[in-house]
Amino acid sequence: MIAAPRFHLTVEDRRNLRTALPFIAPWMVGFTAFTLYPIIYSLYLSFTTYSGFGDATPAGFANYVYMAKDTLFWQSLGNTMYYTALAVPIGVVVAIALALMMNQNLREVAIYRAAFYIPSILPLFALTFIFIVLLNPGFGLVDYVLGLVGLPAVNWLGDASYTKISIVMLAQLGAGGPALIFLAALRAVPMELYEAARLEGAGPLRRFYKITLPLITPVILFDLIYGTILGVQIFTPAFVLAGGTSGGGAYTTGPENSLLFYVFYLYKQAFQYSDMGYAAAMAWVLFIISVVLAFAIMRWSRQWVHYEGA
Amino acid sequence: MSLRPGRGVTASLLAFLVVGAACATGGQSSGPPLAGCNSGTKLALFWTSHTPPDTDSEQHIVNAFNKQSKTTCVKMVAVPGSETDIAKLTTAVRGGTGPDVYELDRFTVAERAAAGVLTDLTSYGAADLASNYLDFAWKEALFKGKPYALPDDTDARVLYYNKDLMQAAGEDPSQLDISKGAPTVDLIRSLATKLNKKTNGKYTVVGFDPRLNQGWHYTWGFAFGGSFFDAATCKVTPDDPKIVQAFKTMFWDWAGQLGVKDLQTFESTYAPDTPPLPTEQDAFLTGHLGMVVSGDWVLGWLKQYAPNLHYGITYIPVPQQGDSPATWAGGWSVVIPKGAKNGSGGWEFMKYFAGPEGQKVYTQETTHMPTWKSLLDDTSLFPGDHALFRKQLDVAHSRPALPVGALYWDQLTIAQSAAEHHSQDPAVALKAAAATVNAKLQSFCPLAT
Repeated sequence: MIAAPRFHLTVEDRRNLRTALPFIAPWMVGFTAFTLYPIIYSLYLSFTTYSGFGDATPAGFANYVYMAKDTLFWQSLGNTMYYTALAVPIGVVVAIALALMMNQNLREVAIYRAAFYIPSILPLFALTFIFIVLLNPGFGLVDYVLGLVGLPAVNWLGDASYTKISIVMLAQLGAGGPALIFLAALRAVPMELYEAARLEGAGPLRRFYKITLPLITPVILFDLIYGTILGVQIFTPAFVLAGGTSGGGAYTTGPENSLLFYVFYLYKQAFQYSDMGYAAAMAWVLFIISVVLAFAIMRWSRQWVHYEGA
Repeated sequence: MSLRPGRGVTASLLAFLVVGAACATGGQSSGPPLAGCNSGTKLALFWTSHTPPDTDSEQHIVNAFNKQSKTTCVKMVAVPGSETDIAKLTTAVRGGTGPDVYELDRFTVAERAAAGVLTDLTSYGAADLASNYLDFAWKEALFKGKPYALPDDTDARVLYYNKDLMQAAGEDPSQLDISKGAPTVDLIRSLATKLNKKTNGKYTVVGFDPRLNQGWHYTWGFAFGGSFFDAATCKVTPDDPKIVQAFKTMFWDWAGQLGVKDLQTFESTYAPDTPPLPTEQDAFLTGHLGMVVSGDWVLGWLKQYAPNLHYGITYIPVPQQGDSPATWAGGWSVVIPKGAKNGSGGWEFMKYFAGPEGQKVYTQETTHMPTWKSLLDDTSLFPGDHALFRKQLDVAHSRPALPVGALYWDQLTIAQSAAEHHSQDPAVALKAAAATVNAKLQSFCPLAT
């Protein structure tokens, strides 16, 4: 059938839709109540002053104006972007490396796959606590190993220059999930291409750069966008390590607020300073930034993504 | 296939009705809501964010209250939270599942009342109890002149020193004896330098780190004679020259003398802020810190975790010889959040918990101090070293009770952190703090006295 130029429902289509609507109604109600309504309500709140109780007094653009002058806002945005810029590319590389390791033709490969995947399903706050002990400058394992190889010990969680790098390292423990997706992509690469390349005398490195990498670029794009969206929303490690109830919330979030990430600062504004309006404004700014970033990555991807059959 | 209800459907309907009837009658039984309560009492929910051993003592108080109350049965629940984080409370109150009583850090009462989280206690007759409480404690519980909380405990800060470490370094501990009055900062500095010890290039013992435990911005600001709030202009004044001097001497210069990075490494190893080490590994209790500014609750810690540590206490150091020593008192309070289902039951409990009976038990078991005036005259409650804290309470400062208390604390902490890490000059940092807090404070001015 030739595709109709406009979206056209036949009588039968309409009858089917009427039957189907009650079945999808529960999800639609849930989506409207718990996703769509809060999104619209938070947009409204961002133009008010609201403590969470009583009335929301209209405040025009006051929250956004304050945001532009708020040094902690800019610091939290900077911290988050620095973390995302580091963690996402490194995450892609680690996930591909894991996938390559999981793709080996060994008898016991199932054990290795499980071993590489398990850290990503362990609860993040539990891993964070373990990391704290590992990164201790006095008796932690990481600095001990660095000392053995002659490198200077680093105060990972006490020195403002290294705290975000510690979180980037911690985030790599979650590379198991994307690694599985890369594994599927690797296995989808046709073996004939490798045969042909081997016959022509291409070594493993050339095969990787000329065959494997181009063919998994769609998955790399997916991981980049997904990783970026998750990266800008980073919260749990900062909350467990350096804020919230640990230490009584009386200290800076990490040395010199180096672990004050955007969403955590949003949380502080909402629940410690009771400024819901400002927190809502921050949420919308983050949304706009995420959309811009995702769009930018999509535009850039046209230059390097190879879709099969295209 | 027939579509009429078969025997199976009828049987299950009958069973459902029987079970439902049993449940209905079961709910009307006249037993007490909880074990340990009297029958006919109504349940009141009490939330606290404290942790053991303080919650152990609070449970004793709750049990004693339940035994004697004919109207109310209190259930105590420990919830996540802290001095400035009440996310659990605000979300629960907003969702209609909040408690009847909550234990709130007293210096945030004005802030939370301004946000609309708390119930005005005037209708319960709270104003009649005002004269029973310490002046400064009662003032902290007010917002726009109305009471929103009942003060429960208070505390004070002094300098603790480790006599064993001093003697091992060849210093006579009696130099810091309390009879000699407040030591000067210079004396403490020279003593602390002798106590510093490095192993493999890293500090394993530091004589004195001014900012650990209770060595806060407020502590040193008050010690140097600074003022944090000007009621006349309704402005916070962290850029008071005396406070700037305190930051420069106790944070900037002190960190510089020990080595900023070396001190950071020591703190991360033996005294991390977040997450903190368990109490028994506190740096002073384990002999890694020669001297520390801390509160009266440490007396209890020492008894329990380091009974063989020979310690002494004295006034917080002063900048010049002959200056009057200064300290500040904090403490908690109990409040009734908005939307409480059993407010009157909660009030009954609050009067007991924050009254003479509850405060006496809490003081004895946790070595905090009471805010109930008549208890302060009972010397049996302040045995031994606790007596110094009791004496200091008469001259203790308290933090300004502002609707921006949590924000002010956080801004001061940022400036303090910048001074310790040599990343921003104290004068500049404190001026920025003043600007940020005053911007938020202005909408609440004038504050009712």
